[in-house]
Amino acid sequence: MRRSTPYLLVAPFFLLFLAFGAFPLLFTLWMALHDWELGSGTRRWVGLGNFRYLATDADFWHAVVNTAGIFALSTVPQLLAALVLADLLDRRLRGAAALRVALAAPLVTATAAVALVFTQLFDSDHGLVNGLLGLVGVPPVDWQGGRLASWTALAAMVDWRWTGNNALIYLAALQAVPRELYEAAALDGASPARRFWTITVPLLRPTIVFTAVVSTVGGLQLFTEPTLFGAAGAHRMDGGAQHQFQTVTMYLFESAFGQDRYGYGAAVAWALFLLIVTFALLNALVLRRRTGGAR
Amino acid sequence: MTARRAGPLTRIALAVALLLTAAPVYWMVVVASRTSAEAADVPPPLLPGGHFAENVRRLFANPDAHFARGLLNSVLVSGCVALGTVLLGSLAGFAFAKLRFRGRDALLLTVLATMMVPVQTGVVPLYLIMLRLHWQDGLQAVTVPFLVTGFGVFLMRQAARDVPDALIEAARVDGCTTLGVYRHVVLPVLRPAAGVLGLLTFAQTWNDFLWPLVVLSPDDPTVQLSLNNLATAYYNDYALMFAGASVAVLPPLALFAVLGPRIVRAVLSGAVKG
Amino acid sequence: MLRGLAAVALLAAGCAPGDGRTLLTVDLFGEFGYERLYREYEAAHPEIRVRQRRISVLDDYAPRLRQRIATGHGAGDVVALEEGLLPAFLRRPERFVDLSAYGGRALEPYFLPWKWRMGVAADGRLVGLGTDIGPLALCYRPDLFARAGLPTARDAVARLWPTWDAYYRTGLAFERRLPGVRWLDGPTAVFRAALLQEAGRGPGFTYFDRSGRLVFASNPAVRTAFATALRFERARLTADLQVFTPSWQTALRRDRFATVPCPAWMLGGLAAFSGGRGRWDVATAPGGAGSWGGSWLAVPRQTRHPARAAALAAFLTSPHGQVAAFRARSTFPSSPQAARDPVVAGSANAFFGGAPTGRIFGAVAARVRPVYLGPRNEDVRVAVDDVLLSVGQGRLAARDAWPRAVRAAAKAAR
Repeated sequence: MRRSTPYLLVAPFFLLFLAFGAFPLLFTLWMALHDWELGSGTRRWVGLGNFRYLATDADFWHAVVNTAGIFALSTVPQLLAALVLADLLDRRLRGAAALRVALAAPLVTATAAVALVFTQLFDSDHGLVNGLLGLVGVPPVDWQGGRLASWTALAAMVDWRWTGNNALIYLAALQAVPRELYEAAALDGASPARRFWTITVPLLRPTIVFTAVVSTVGGLQLFTEPTLFGAAGAHRMDGGAQHQFQTVTMYLFESAFGQDRYGYGAAVAWALFLLIVTFALLNALVLRRRTGGAR
Repeated sequence: MTARRAGPLTRIALAVALLLTAAPVYWMVVVASRTSAEAADVPPPLLPGGHFAENVRRLFANPDAHFARGLLNSVLVSGCVALGTVLLGSLAGFAFAKLRFRGRDALLLTVLATMMVPVQTGVVPLYLIMLRLHWQDGLQAVTVPFLVTGFGVFLMRQAARDVPDALIEAARVDGCTTLGVYRHVVLPVLRPAAGVLGLLTFAQTWNDFLWPLVVLSPDDPTVQLSLNNLATAYYNDYALMFAGASVAVLPPLALFAVLGPRIVRAVLSGAVKG
Repeated sequence: MLRGLAAVALLAAGCAPGDGRTLLTVDLFGEFGYERLYREYEAAHPEIRVRQRRISVLDDYAPRLRQRIATGHGAGDVVALEEGLLPAFLRRPERFVDLSAYGGRALEPYFLPWKWRMGVAADGRLVGLGTDIGPLALCYRPDLFARAGLPTARDAVARLWPTWDAYYRTGLAFERRLPGVRWLDGPTAVFRAALLQEAGRGPGFTYFDRSGRLVFASNPAVRTAFATALRFERARLTADLQVFTPSWQTALRRDRFATVPCPAWMLGGLAAFSGGRGRWDVATAPGGAGSWGGSWLAVPRQTRHPARAAALAAFLTSPHGQVAAFRARSTFPSSPQAARDPVVAGSANAFFGGAPTGRIFGAVAARVRPVYLGPRNEDVRVAVDDVLLSVGQGRLAARDAWPRAVRAAAKAAR
């Protein structure tokens, strides 16, 4: 084996990553220190000006709250449902294999297509969701207009996509749990719910932390669903007239590509990066403590 | 060791989960096979109708969607990216798993670290790079930067560890070069994992939305951008849009139907946990 | 390999003529009605092929064009610049071909003087040739008017609303009698029309003064127009929709609004998007002559065929071209010769109840006064639209609207 061969084998990855991953990441910081417009050709050093503006930019923080809100509304029920699903799937059942495949399938369906379908389901006038709510006497909800309502609709889209996939990941971890633990607990007279909380959840702790971190990284970058959710209305990157469902990435997109403020867009991108890191760490810490409490 | 038996409550709960999973897709097919007037009927239609072919024809004839072009572009791009990821990922993965070289562990750690970098962070300068290369509006822009991922390298490295060292030694003794070892010994072992990686990468590229929206032109789109064209340009002609959504969903879903069981097994065996 | 594949795909799509003819690409948005003109031009110039790249939504078109112009790569040989986009592009006129180098100066007599002047950059470079202008009228639904007990003949209808105030009060009465149908589609057109009317009568500029300074809060024209539009929102007279968006198109088909303040270029869209539903007619708009929209054709510096592109732009914007565009999509000519042409002046639009659209819009066009728009005009417009819509949706108190709009405008213009 020639000395250089291994390096040649790993080189494509590192070259591509350097050119299209690492370099843009650092260049974002450089851009964020400038007023950078394509239309006028402006490229002026402003130091931390963009970041100072960002810190007091009500629209940016509004988008942060939206993103975090949608994230919380989607992730908590999603992971809980996935845990329960995994527990249910971890039993003897005919057709279990096919069922698992079916539950994981949403992950490969196109996000844009799903968003179109859900947007129609949540249509305020003619949507099926309001129709069903009407059957049980609930007055129609303005899914796009309300802040919480729009978050809920978006959370539904996210959860439809990810719950089954997370259930499979939990199931994988569950299958490594010794059955004897359950049998012993059952003999001790522990109810199924109690067994779930005292055995399943603690043993799955590392996996739960892992899925929570993955959801954080994905959830805080939410873009496709809200963009298409607002596609039928005016200025779709605004996420509604009150920006009620504008996410940070939409704000980034609008600032840079829509309004030709590339420097400011870069500053938003860095803020988003820091947010993701912070949230991911926070989640990992909190979950580690919470789920470990039962031991 | 015996698994617990599924009781009636479990069955009901799982049936509900399955129903919730299938319902939106089913609804999509119902509307896509109806006229656009029927889609807004009260009460809504519950069974598929006979207009699917007609809606698909309208879809491909639509001057704003550029649907045929989008479909072709998506096949090209997703195919290239999936192939590239599998090929380059397996080469690097093989090196990390089975070859000894200086700095290997540090480099592998770097690969892992790159998986944590959110795409959006670099999107603004990446766009300027594309402008500089004159790649905007071209398929290179959505292909080349994604030809290999840290995830791909790592997944392939995990799979390549299963190759018995004795086999590699034997091949070397027979006079195989490193690339020969890769082709004749490692690749056959990697095939299942490579299938999983290929499908996941294909689906991910196929479904990508933000970056194509930034860098491609609406008149030379990917299939997701074609859907976006429909959603932003037309009155809510749901029969048309859902026909588009159905066609857009189909290829990855068909692949998944074939490879799905294998993927699920791979997930369950812990290979795709990162 | 990919480049190769892409090239094959391009050839397969018939985009690169392999026959030695010069391919000219025209970039535009919405509806310009040029399709037949291209064929006519190709017939007269066998060495030329024309390809159109059309993006339906202006908001999608604008950033792409900006990037292509800025990087000197990827723009068409002829590009359309809408009135809101033009000022930003005119800041860098060197990125466009000076059309006077290709005989453009001689075309001046064929355009309204103000339209011509707006296409000339500060350095004297002739950047854009006018296509259409947007004289404003009011489109309405005679069938819905009849159900609400209002007159339906267009002269009688026009007498209902000499002023925006009268239009407002008629709307209140209409909604009382026909609940469930909103009086008009959205606040944008009222605000824009009133703003340009006020600005035309007064200072001659809107959000920005001629030095480019934001004067949103201090310009009485803005304040008056905002108050006018706000009244409609506060009284829930609008359906809170934005022209041509899918929601707007859906509402149009579902009879959700009875009137639309319509510039000439909107007629084509109204006819196309209504899907033949409902009856429409056109009457004069309240508040005097107003205008909204209109475009120019320019030739980017990056073109490899400046002379041929300039000739094509001149052809499309010639009186002959403008008459043909009017016939195809009702876009009103910026050329007086075209406006006087019997095809335009004597036209009756069948979809709009046989309304003499040429005469109605021509009368307005003659009285339109040009208004200066700043480079960040579009960003401010979008921000203020959102504020007005929020009031209509009941999510912002009317008294908070003005301060909110001032803040939003300042941010958008920064």
